[in-house]
Amino acid sequence: MPPTWEMTEEEIRARRVPVDEQRVLDVRHMTRQFGGLLAVSNVSFVVEKGEIFGLIGPNGAGKTTLFNLITGLIQPTSGQLYFRGEEYTGQRPHYIAQKGIARTFQNIRLFGSLSALENVKIARHTHTFGGIFGLIAGVLNLPPAPEDERKTTARAMELLEMVGLAERAHVQARNFAYGDQRRLEIARALALEPRLLLLDEPAAGMNAQEKQGLSDFIRMLRDKFSITILLIEHHVPLVMGLCDRIAVLDFGQLIALGDPRRVQHDPAVIEAYLGDEG
Amino acid sequence: MNTTLILQQFLNGLAIGSVYAIFALGYTLVFSILRVINFAHGAIFTLGAYFTYMLLGARFGFNGVFANLALPFSLPFPLALLVGALLSGLVGVVVERLAFRPLRTRGADPLLTLVSSLGVAVALVNLIQYLVGAEIYTYPPRVLGSLPAAVNFGTSTLPVPVRTVQIIIFAVSMVIVVLLTYLINGTKIGKALQAVSEDATTASLLGIDTDRLILFTFFLSGFLGGVAGTLVGLSVSINGPYFGISYGLKGLAVIVLGGLGDIPGAVLAGFLIGLVESFVPAQYVAYKDAVAFALLFAMLLFRPQGLLGRAVVQKV
Repeated sequence: MPPTWEMTEEEIRARRVPVDEQRVLDVRHMTRQFGGLLAVSNVSFVVEKGEIFGLIGPNGAGKTTLFNLITGLIQPTSGQLYFRGEEYTGQRPHYIAQKGIARTFQNIRLFGSLSALENVKIARHTHTFGGIFGLIAGVLNLPPAPEDERKTTARAMELLEMVGLAERAHVQARNFAYGDQRRLEIARALALEPRLLLLDEPAAGMNAQEKQGLSDFIRMLRDKFSITILLIEHHVPLVMGLCDRIAVLDFGQLIALGDPRRVQHDPAVIEAYLGDEG
Repeated sequence: MNTTLILQQFLNGLAIGSVYAIFALGYTLVFSILRVINFAHGAIFTLGAYFTYMLLGARFGFNGVFANLALPFSLPFPLALLVGALLSGLVGVVVERLAFRPLRTRGADPLLTLVSSLGVAVALVNLIQYLVGAEIYTYPPRVLGSLPAAVNFGTSTLPVPVRTVQIIIFAVSMVIVVLLTYLINGTKIGKALQAVSEDATTASLLGIDTDRLILFTFFLSGFLGGVAGTLVGLSVSINGPYFGISYGLKGLAVIVLGGLGDIPGAVLAGFLIGLVESFVPAQYVAYKDAVAFALLFAMLLFRPQGLLGRAVVQKV
């Protein structure tokens, strides 16, 4: 119920929900059913500010479905989602992205026909002057469009520099090697200036050395951009060495949650992984 | 055929081809974003022609609700064309909200959307007939102002006269093609359109409101349809409410020839069909429309990816 004029100042203040910056992502009783299949079943966990939080589990455990729920691509059958203390269940993907949740994909999804620079600039849209007047200003190149454009390009180039792709900024994304595409996708996600970054199997297709480099890179991202990171990963040693806390999913259910050492020795986790391989 | 006639037909072909091009671009824009043909596009073309007719202050005929009515003012042709096209764009927006979006949010089959747009086309055509009757409307001759009726592209001994109207429609169409190319390739909204047409899901995850962009696309598409309708109306008069249907079908041939969703391809194909049609010998002129579709069939058989398209590699 919205505040009414009869309420005192204190009453209105008391009803305001405080923005809980510490709890960046709060997943409550998240459930998603596809026909008869419970892809995600009553999963709850909190990702705290500045954490690198790992989400692991056997194939088909519901990890990517959970990512799709968190980013609004699919709607939960039941349960709630909170971002920095604010509920956003049922919101559309572009709204959630604008609020500050960015992601990458397991199978990289770049705009292949656009250049690396354009890919990154697309994600800066929400940070430029918008609306119908923004559209007109953009088409006619009136203020503030030229200034916006210059800043957008400069910021995008900084990000490309950081992932080592600045020299090839004008090359079409589809012409990049696999590893470069992964880094470009991360640069694009960062261009949104997210507070929470979701990485879906960032190490897929990398060799051992690249995986080591990836851990350092992800830590650097967290520190440099003061963001929180939630990642899905199959490669257990990488997750154990990198993550502050880990959640384990199996058949859509959360079977363990805690620091890497504890999770590694959890009998339910061992059972899930051995059962999967056996 | 002598040389002057060939030259004359070539220039006429360019003019009508340029209109086919901008009309087909309206289909192409929507198709490249939604992967659906908007069958209401031909009806919007018709509406655009009537809008401009009305804004020129011309009087309606004896049938329909608007019988014998005329606006109390009269806009000069360039302004009437612009306002008529803007109104057509708004009709495009309404079509998206009523016939496309409800089905899209429900995740309906694209075929249903196609049928829905066909329904809108029929409804619009009937509405036009109800309002202004089925007679032929010709734009008032004062549209050209003090311009001569024809311009000579040859010499005084070997004249190659081309109607001024044909030159106007070519010029207007080319301006539109240039502006649209700039919009798509040179502005941030154009880049966003390209991104949405390539992968709408990913675009939305980068903060782009895809529904608003789709609305904008329908506006642009309707605008192009309105301009094309007006230009054809100016050239050959408005041939009743069904006037847009045959152009609507021809527009489909143009986009298939150009490669579905391919913008430069649609422009090229528009010119190609316009030129080929203009060289149909006079005794066979009644079969002119068949030419576009003969080209379409040949294209589907020998080069299904379109004039400029690369062969699509089947994804695994």
